Amino acid sequence: MEYSNEFLMKLYEELLRCRLFEKKLVDTYALGKIPGHIHSGLGGEACYVGTLATRQQGDYFKNSHRCIAVANLLGVSLETAFSEIMAKRTGNAGGRGGVNHVSQLKYNMLGFSATLACDIGLAGGAAMRLQYDGIDNMAYTFYGDGTANRGPVHEAMNLAAVWKLPVLFVCDNNQFGISTHVSQGSSVPNPGADRAGAYGMPSEVADGTDVLAVYEAAKRLTDHIRAGKGPAVLECKNYRWRGHFEGDQTPYRDKAVTEEWMKKDSVAKMEKLLLDKKIIDQAAIDNMYQQIDDEMERAIAFAEASPAITPEEIYDNLYV
Amino acid sequence: MLVTFAQAVGDAMREEMRRDDRILIFGEDIAEFGNIFGITRGMLEEFGSKRVRNTPISEMAFIGAAMGAAETGLRPCVELMYSDFSLVAFAEIYHCIAKWRYMHGPEYKLPLVIRSAMGSSFGATGEHSNCLESLYMHSPGLLVASPSTAYDAKGLLKEAIRNDNPVMFFEHKQLYKTKGEVPEEEYTIPFGVADIKREGSDVTIIAIGLMVGRALEAAEALAKEGISVEVLDPRTLVPFDKEAVRKSLSKTHRAMVVEESNKTSGVGAELAAMMQEEMYDELDGPVVRVAALDVPLPYNIELEKYAIPDAEQIAAAIRKMF
Repeated sequence: MEYSNEFLMKLYEELLRCRLFEKKLVDTYALGKIPGHIHSGLGGEACYVGTLATRQQGDYFKNSHRCIAVANLLGVSLETAFSEIMAKRTGNAGGRGGVNHVSQLKYNMLGFSATLACDIGLAGGAAMRLQYDGIDNMAYTFYGDGTANRGPVHEAMNLAAVWKLPVLFVCDNNQFGISTHVSQGSSVPNPGADRAGAYGMPSEVADGTDVLAVYEAAKRLTDHIRAGKGPAVLECKNYRWRGHFEGDQTPYRDKAVTEEWMKKDSVAKMEKLLLDKKIIDQAAIDNMYQQIDDEMERAIAFAEASPAITPEEIYDNLYV
Repeated sequence: MLVTFAQAVGDAMREEMRRDDRILIFGEDIAEFGNIFGITRGMLEEFGSKRVRNTPISEMAFIGAAMGAAETGLRPCVELMYSDFSLVAFAEIYHCIAKWRYMHGPEYKLPLVIRSAMGSSFGATGEHSNCLESLYMHSPGLLVASPSTAYDAKGLLKEAIRNDNPVMFFEHKQLYKTKGEVPEEEYTIPFGVADIKREGSDVTIIAIGLMVGRALEAAEALAKEGISVEVLDPRTLVPFDKEAVRKSLSKTHRAMVVEESNKTSGVGAELAAMMQEEMYDELDGPVVRVAALDVPLPYNIELEKYAIPDAEQIAAAIRKMF
């Protein structure tokens, strides 16, 4: 596929924003500034960025617990995101939801459940609404290889297929469900794509460390969906760089294998491409790193300085 | 006009769907078949397949879809054929639907109703006879309604459909055929307002669903013995009308809770604890619970009857309070 420089730069910037956000999340958590648990999306960025490069105004999104940075790509400000993550009033839910619930409906984000999979049907519901109103948009729903084995995923796929709903199921196959390797959890090599056939859906498997490969596969599938032909499944194969949660020392896997996979770095690949094509130079890249980092530091400082909600506000938002 | 409870439920949906084209219904066997109790019969013909849809037997998927449709601007009134099946989608309801707005922010409204047929019905056995109100009372974020008459069912369902909060709406199978007076003109019943089904001065029975009728039967029998029973039907369990209970107790000073669910951790457990914590000064004795036995409801109809409170058991328990 031929790409404009502008498109390649947009993909690179989104990829870099995800990478640096996820790194910042890990670093900030290590400083003890984030309560609860975080699940780093490092290594999986291309799955989200490549897929979402096909998005159009009016589409709906059901995100995943990895790559929280996606919320920022879709419109949530860094200030709002870090405030929610750091449990402050200025977060989207005032710190009542936390890191797994960084979401704003005004950006057509449907929210996310930390149960993994119990929210998978939301995209089908949003797609129903689109169908109901005769709107030519679609819904994206992201889930992992571990979640791929849960019943709600299969029910949601069947429902979307039988109702021809405009939904793209995106399986971020990072090869581990907590500590369990994908081969121990699924009887098929591709826990996302291989299940599509059972519901009469087309599917693709993409190299999830290559943002352009993901984009091209997503483009073919979203063209199918946007043509009114029903749902599809995209599986992106990558590798989870960190443990399931921060603090997981990953004794269940071989460090040498992890290091090999980390060389297949989606951000580095894009940098090489942009440098080779002379679309950007190293100084400009360095400048982007610095600028994005500065933005995040400012957002974190804002969140730190923001107040938390008070006990008097604990019931707010429970009922309309 | 005299209509059945089932007709009242159907009419509530029809009237609301005529009023607001954002409302749609879906669930198992509700379209051509018109629901297994005939409640949605004719709705496919009137509203079309866009607004009246059969789903596959996939409760997790269609409850999830209802949620996604609700947050993006539709007002789904979905049917889980039996309340027992709500447990198949329990995490979707208990975690997601109940907590969504709290966890994501105030713009995430879920104007969504989940209707189900509930309760015992002559040998339906342990997996098709449950009364699960107490489970959903335990999940902050949900509203819970359990009407006992055609009038209440219609007014509460219309209110549920108009409400911007998610509602669990329970309809007792044995009540579907019961008839009641329902006005021709438009009305709704607000949530959180109890109804005194019979006034009395010696003891207050708080009864829900099918048990309201049995409590009234017991009250009738006891009246002949000189015991005056007040029967209070909360109609909605969340929100719960505490003030109505307080007012009744200030007159009777004795309380009983009658429910069809089994006793342990049931609705009565919660209400008895609440009254003893908050209304102790009004009570002349302990709150008495009359509930089903702690067994899966047996298939054998004689044993099924034995397991569930009837008017005689309720009356006997009241006599012991004096």
